[in-house]
Amino acid sequence: MKASETWVLKKTDVSKFFAGVAKEMRLVAPRYLFGGDVTFGVVESPGEIAWDYGHVIYPPKRFLLPHYEDMFRYECGPPRRIRLEAINEAPPQAILGIRSCDVSAIRFQEKFFGSPIVDPYYKARSDSTVLFSLVCNAPPKKECFCICCDAGPYLNAGFDVQLTDLGDRFLYEIGSEKGTKATEAGASMLVKAGSDDIAERRRIEVQADLLFETTAYLAKAIDFISADEVPDEIWEELGSTCFRCGACTNLCPVCTCYTVDDRAEADGSFTRCRSWDSCQYAGFTREASGHNPRPTFGSRVQRRFYHKTSYPYIMRDGRHGCVGCGRCISACLTKLGVPDVVKRIRRGMHKYLPAQDRAAEV
Amino acid sequence: MWGVTDQPSENLYMPMIAVVDEIFDETPDTKTFRLCFEDKEYAKSFSWEPGQFVEVTIFGAGEAPIGFASNPLEKSFFELTVVARGKVTQMMHELKRGDQVGIRGPFGNCWPLEAVKGMDLLVVSGGCGLAPLRPAILQILANRKDYGEFWMLYGARTPADRDFKYDLEEWAKRDDMHLLQTVDIGDDTWKDNVGVVTTLFDKIKIDARNTVALNCGPAIMIKFVTIGLLKMGFSEDRLVTSLERYMKCGVGKCGHCCVNHVYLCTEGPVFTYQQMRALPELKL
Repeated sequence: MKASETWVLKKTDVSKFFAGVAKEMRLVAPRYLFGGDVTFGVVESPGEIAWDYGHVIYPPKRFLLPHYEDMFRYECGPPRRIRLEAINEAPPQAILGIRSCDVSAIRFQEKFFGSPIVDPYYKARSDSTVLFSLVCNAPPKKECFCICCDAGPYLNAGFDVQLTDLGDRFLYEIGSEKGTKATEAGASMLVKAGSDDIAERRRIEVQADLLFETTAYLAKAIDFISADEVPDEIWEELGSTCFRCGACTNLCPVCTCYTVDDRAEADGSFTRCRSWDSCQYAGFTREASGHNPRPTFGSRVQRRFYHKTSYPYIMRDGRHGCVGCGRCISACLTKLGVPDVVKRIRRGMHKYLPAQDRAAEV
Repeated sequence: MWGVTDQPSENLYMPMIAVVDEIFDETPDTKTFRLCFEDKEYAKSFSWEPGQFVEVTIFGAGEAPIGFASNPLEKSFFELTVVARGKVTQMMHELKRGDQVGIRGPFGNCWPLEAVKGMDLLVVSGGCGLAPLRPAILQILANRKDYGEFWMLYGARTPADRDFKYDLEEWAKRDDMHLLQTVDIGDDTWKDNVGVVTTLFDKIKIDARNTVALNCGPAIMIKFVTIGLLKMGFSEDRLVTSLERYMKCGVGKCGHCCVNHVYLCTEGPVFTYQQMRALPELKL
């Protein structure tokens, strides 16, 4: 049993199989809450896992980059003696049922946090995490556009294990050494995939590609943004409706920016803690003097899109910083999701392009 | 259980403990702190270049990036010059001799002092912008014969607001450098120029084709200095500036100091005007 091999796991064996995995690590999986909402969480038994879920608004990135991550503790006493205690907790975990877009986002983050300087906290967590991704063969939600971002609905690489729902069984593809290792315990429950299983998988892939409603024609916007051709007027118009709530960046499975605080504890010690920050907040770049290099809403929206969709970042990160999960579309009250902004830039540019370019531009 | 972490650690977010050895008052709101590492082995391995910075933890307040301000040839200690502005720097001003701080670093790139050997130098700084240039100046003076003519312009708000007055006094006496000073608002004791730093440009005699300018100061000063120097015939890759932004991690991860795709903390803070022009966000 090794990487790049394809197997089949019967659905009647799924709970038993993952109970075996759970002996080595905790299971993080989608499960139904009261009222029917689905969210990722640590599950006690594999029976709780919502294998039939559609999409979650709240990405599982927080199991690798927690909202609040304690970095170290210190105590300011006895007088003038500082005592430091490092913290780096990374429980072994398997994230089950994670969607392709979120897997792509985690791979993006691993690259960002892993080079050129290694972030020890993220690395410890990603090293001890195995991703069991689940192909989207249910209709995508109307906001999904992973297909424009090379991040889904199924993966050709990047997963540790990829599961495809084939009705009464899962196709079980192993994509990495980590995946191989996590499979060992339940290996006896897997049978080699037959040609009909592979054919069914192909059919689902083709089918899935046809179901997308939202498309984001990113290329043109990437051109405009990279060349700094989008006039400030367009950015300010986009920014004029921003509430500065930060939902777009907090729900983005790719976004990684964080701030750092020293939290005072009840016992008089302090904990240095990093927590999610957002480039959409005015305080993100505000300096102690009060000077803010990004003083307007427009300049902050521009920042977000420069980071997500510009050639210098694509070169640096190896892909653009959007995986097409559509969460920013769902979350934004004022249509500042990626496809909307891309569309509004493309259309807004008509005013500023010479007439002959405009004709070619529809 | 509390463990005492005094060894250099693999974790780049863990600070090393340093002790305040001496404190100098520079101006009413600026102090210079002389710091020594507690771990003597670590102190020996700690080396830095002019232009780099460290992340200073003031225990109980937080962390802030501060540039080195001392002589880089001095290995037993380093100095940081700090204006009391935000939460961390205000609390730093309350430190006493013997107090402990946390240090991470050094981070960032440095002034191109190797690359400009043999050329004439023009250093332009304003206010506390002299602090990150001071190590460069001291290194240049220590290797004076490696460089050509050395002009230095320094502007401050008032005579009392000048940093490193002891250095300025000494530099003014030297005959191997030209120091010109100016203040925005003079007083009875002030005999030198009054006006912004660019008003000194008429008084310098340089060959722009063979001179490199190192600038640091408030954004508005940098802007007018750059305009003035370009007019004097400087090419864009000979104007070198140290930029600064709100910053948290110092290692290119937290995202705060990004200007377009460039992380100031790892790829900066020192840039040529040519490099800065490639960053549309700076609107140059």
